Amino acid sequence: MTASALTRPGERDRISSKLAELDWRVIGLLCVLAGIGTAMLYSIAGGSWSPWAWKHLLRFGLLLIAMIGLAMVHPKWWFHAAYPVYGLLLFMVLLIEFTPMGYVAGGAKNWLNLGFVRIQPAEFMKIGLVLALARWYHGHSAQDARWSWKLLFPLGMIGVPFLLVAKQPDLGSAMIIGLTGAAVMFMAGLSWRVIAAAAAAAVAVIPPFVMFVMHDYQRNRVLTFLNPEADPSGTGYNIIQSKIALGSGGLMGKGYGLGSQSQLEFLPERHTDFIFSTVSEEFGFLGSFTVLACYLALILISLRIAALSHSHFGRISAAGMTAFLALFVLINGAMVMGLAPVVGVPMPLLSYGGSTMMTVMIGFGLILSTHVHRYVELPKGQGLF
Amino acid sequence: MSSEPHIFFSDVNERQGSFLRRTFLLGGGMALGTVALVGRLAQLQIFKSEEYATLATNNQFNFRLVPPPRGLIKDRNGVVIAGNRPSFRVLVVRDETKDLDQTLDLLGQLLPDTLERRRTIIREVNAAPRFSPVPVKSDLSWEEFSKVNLHAAELPGVMADMNEARYYPFGGAYAHVIGYVAKVSDRDIKAIRDKGEQPASILFNPGFRIGRQGIEKALDTDLRGEAGGKRVEVDARGRVVAEDAAGSKAPVQGSEIMLTLDNDVQNRALEVFGEEAGSCVVMDVRNGDILAMVSSPSFDPNLFVSGVPSKIYRALADYERRPLLDKALGGTFAPGSTFKPIVGLAAMKRGWDPNRRVVCNGSFFLGRRFACLGRHGALDLRGAIKASCNVYFMTIATEFGPDAIAETARDMGFGQSFDIGLTGQKAGLVPDREWRRRNPVRGDGKWYPGETPSYGIGQGALNVNALQLAVYTARIANGQKAVTPRLIKSIGGVEQTSGTAFADLPFDPAMLKVLRDGMEAVTDVGGTGFRNSQLGLGAVRMAGKTGTAQAQNYGAGSRKGAGRPWAQKDHNLFIAYAPTDNPRYAVSVIVQHGGLGGGTAGAPRAREVMKVALLKDPEIRARIEQAGFEAPEDAGAREAEARGEPVDALPTDIAAPAPEPIQ
Repeated sequence: MTASALTRPGERDRISSKLAELDWRVIGLLCVLAGIGTAMLYSIAGGSWSPWAWKHLLRFGLLLIAMIGLAMVHPKWWFHAAYPVYGLLLFMVLLIEFTPMGYVAGGAKNWLNLGFVRIQPAEFMKIGLVLALARWYHGHSAQDARWSWKLLFPLGMIGVPFLLVAKQPDLGSAMIIGLTGAAVMFMAGLSWRVIAAAAAAAVAVIPPFVMFVMHDYQRNRVLTFLNPEADPSGTGYNIIQSKIALGSGGLMGKGYGLGSQSQLEFLPERHTDFIFSTVSEEFGFLGSFTVLACYLALILISLRIAALSHSHFGRISAAGMTAFLALFVLINGAMVMGLAPVVGVPMPLLSYGGSTMMTVMIGFGLILSTHVHRYVELPKGQGLF
Repeated sequence: MSSEPHIFFSDVNERQGSFLRRTFLLGGGMALGTVALVGRLAQLQIFKSEEYATLATNNQFNFRLVPPPRGLIKDRNGVVIAGNRPSFRVLVVRDETKDLDQTLDLLGQLLPDTLERRRTIIREVNAAPRFSPVPVKSDLSWEEFSKVNLHAAELPGVMADMNEARYYPFGGAYAHVIGYVAKVSDRDIKAIRDKGEQPASILFNPGFRIGRQGIEKALDTDLRGEAGGKRVEVDARGRVVAEDAAGSKAPVQGSEIMLTLDNDVQNRALEVFGEEAGSCVVMDVRNGDILAMVSSPSFDPNLFVSGVPSKIYRALADYERRPLLDKALGGTFAPGSTFKPIVGLAAMKRGWDPNRRVVCNGSFFLGRRFACLGRHGALDLRGAIKASCNVYFMTIATEFGPDAIAETARDMGFGQSFDIGLTGQKAGLVPDREWRRRNPVRGDGKWYPGETPSYGIGQGALNVNALQLAVYTARIANGQKAVTPRLIKSIGGVEQTSGTAFADLPFDPAMLKVLRDGMEAVTDVGGTGFRNSQLGLGAVRMAGKTGTAQAQNYGAGSRKGAGRPWAQKDHNLFIAYAPTDNPRYAVSVIVQHGGLGGGTAGAPRAREVMKVALLKDPEIRARIEQAGFEAPEDAGAREAEARGEPVDALPTDIAAPAPEPIQ
């Protein structure tokens, strides 16, 4: 397939052409990261495929196929689906909050029990939000995006799910939703003055929020983060043990399957939120550096994909998805290294867990679709707003 | 896509330009964030790596103390009288249980008796440090042990293991001498801290026991041994994953203690008391070795090892016969007539001729009338001892005064405690004029002559314990040396000072011979102890002296206090040695509130105990067997029957033949 082929009408829409247009670097990096995740889950289970490793690999395999399938989907369908998907997810979050279908797990009411399956709509909300925001910004001018009364719409689109999810209370997801939305507004061209004002307001609001609005266990987490040694056996335990795992890994690591902190279960949540500590313990600085480098490469490639898109919808949605992925990586990294409170944000593709992996893979489906259809330009002004 | 793009150049370009700038900034920010994380990684993993590696090792490896097996305590022939036995126990680790209440419910289905102690268990478990196992029940049967193991999966935080528990195979026989071990209490720890020492960490090990009484307490540090250590790899829940043999140190068992006690004599000595209260000490008159030292009633020290139930403890503590008190060392009594030879000895030392006769007409007057047991007529010292004549001894006591008696009493071992390795001895009291000055009666520190006659017959303020009586008897029997008692034969194989180099007694051996003649007469026809002092071992005979001490003054009339409540009855004493021709063993018996006479309550007990001691002596046994004497066991009783005398109404186990296998 040559570039000239794409110039022929109709040629671009053929599946074979699209497949050839996939960014295989992205797919390769995803496979590497999911592979590392699988290997770590195998190691943590004491050298066993069950209970985590094989499921992790299986999910990734299925989702990889789904992702490639999504990459084939024309942006107009993403564009049309944006508001309905967002609306449906918001409805689900409302169902959790106001009907008995909400299901409590791990201190937060963030599962929706549909009878045949239980899902965490807050996870998918992030995708819905990015799509909805992209659609809104697609239809509005730079002037609107910079500073106008119309910004109340995107602000509402971010604020409503943020508040609902925060109330569940799923602080990690709410934080990701809020920050992803903020990143999208920033990239869409929000005025610097407004950004400065918002930052100042945040600094003023956060301390009273921590002290008076948060639930006790949330406040504990935050306060513990500030001084983990104050309560080494209680809430500070996770952070201390994670730092020990990281530090004791040293430059080269203790060797695959030989991490005492993770193998002997000193490290809590070592198969989910703290899996990065296990990587760091067993493969040392070199291993953890490699993983972070992979993520950074993914992020930069994805941002470049966003920048190269010919449609504003494609740009905003791909960049939003990237911001969302980057937030996961940075927050989880900071958390396990003792730089952020323990908020329950997993490391994408490494941590065990279906919902997050699905969200991330759908996100990459959208990013890859943006790449495949980078020359497609969507008409402006369609839709509700 | 069929529709052609709507191109609004200015707008698109403006949006796109702004987006590209912002995206570039955001990408830079993300890169910066990643670099910050890498920097943090470098800080933790490269610069502080060693510090965290140490922390990880501390997590991973644990040094667990291994309690040492406690040293054995053996009798003089090597019979283990305090040993260790394996004990299965169940432990609970609070931090491994999901829910302590629920776990205890389940455990209660397997071991119903844990339900009764539930509150105590919860308190102990909650007081324990994190991940430290707390024993909730020891001495499980094999069935219980396997049941707990079988259900281990359903009982997180519960484990069963085996440890060593102290065991006293002869129960009460040694309860007061050896004492017992018990859980380390906060008071033990405080006592060590108060001495300015750091308590050994092994003391905090659950299941470790500290010597609480007797030899166990006195020689605790010798018996304790050295704790070993095990370097183990543990997981976050404190479960042992692997053991590091190279980093481990084996525990060293405590020193073996050998006592001078003879197991057979000791057991017999407790046996003969039946339900009576009292004490008995048997000594070797040549070297002072204590062959038996018993206090009755006794208790089972095994109860105290795993913590005595408070109900049982109360019962023991409240019983009026005081089983918890060591009456051999810690109980003092007026010696009564057993003291009379001392008075005779004191007189002889000051020139009294033992052949000089004193006439007894049944009473002695000094300010008031002191009654005698009968009208004995003219008696010399031997005869006075034989008949236990009060008048004779009151006469000489009055003549020589309290200081002379006190001096001789002290020479013979009264009024002092002996270094036998046990604390808690009561020295008793040997009164004299000096003592009276320091302890005036109603402000008057003068010794009145009227006090002396009582002193002459072993009453009044005079107070002695059973060990002192045995020492005194041994000194008379030895005839020359000031024998001192020895209880600890060896510690860890090192022989303790044996009493071969005793000082000479400050008496002419001839004077002691007079006393021995008198004591032989006591157990011969017509003596106060005749009936119950016949060993039935042919030429091997026993000499002795009876004694009865008033428990309280109830005036004239019933002397022995028969028919009165137990606590008001007289004490009955008997001291003896045997064989008469070549003394080997001395015995003292005190029957507290026996309510009979020294000859009826004390002598038969002394006889039975003495018989075992004699028959276990290979030389004496050879001598008896050479004489071709009939079966020794029931000879005494048969002799008595042959003379038409009733066999004493004593507990059957005393009258019964000695069951000991003779080695």
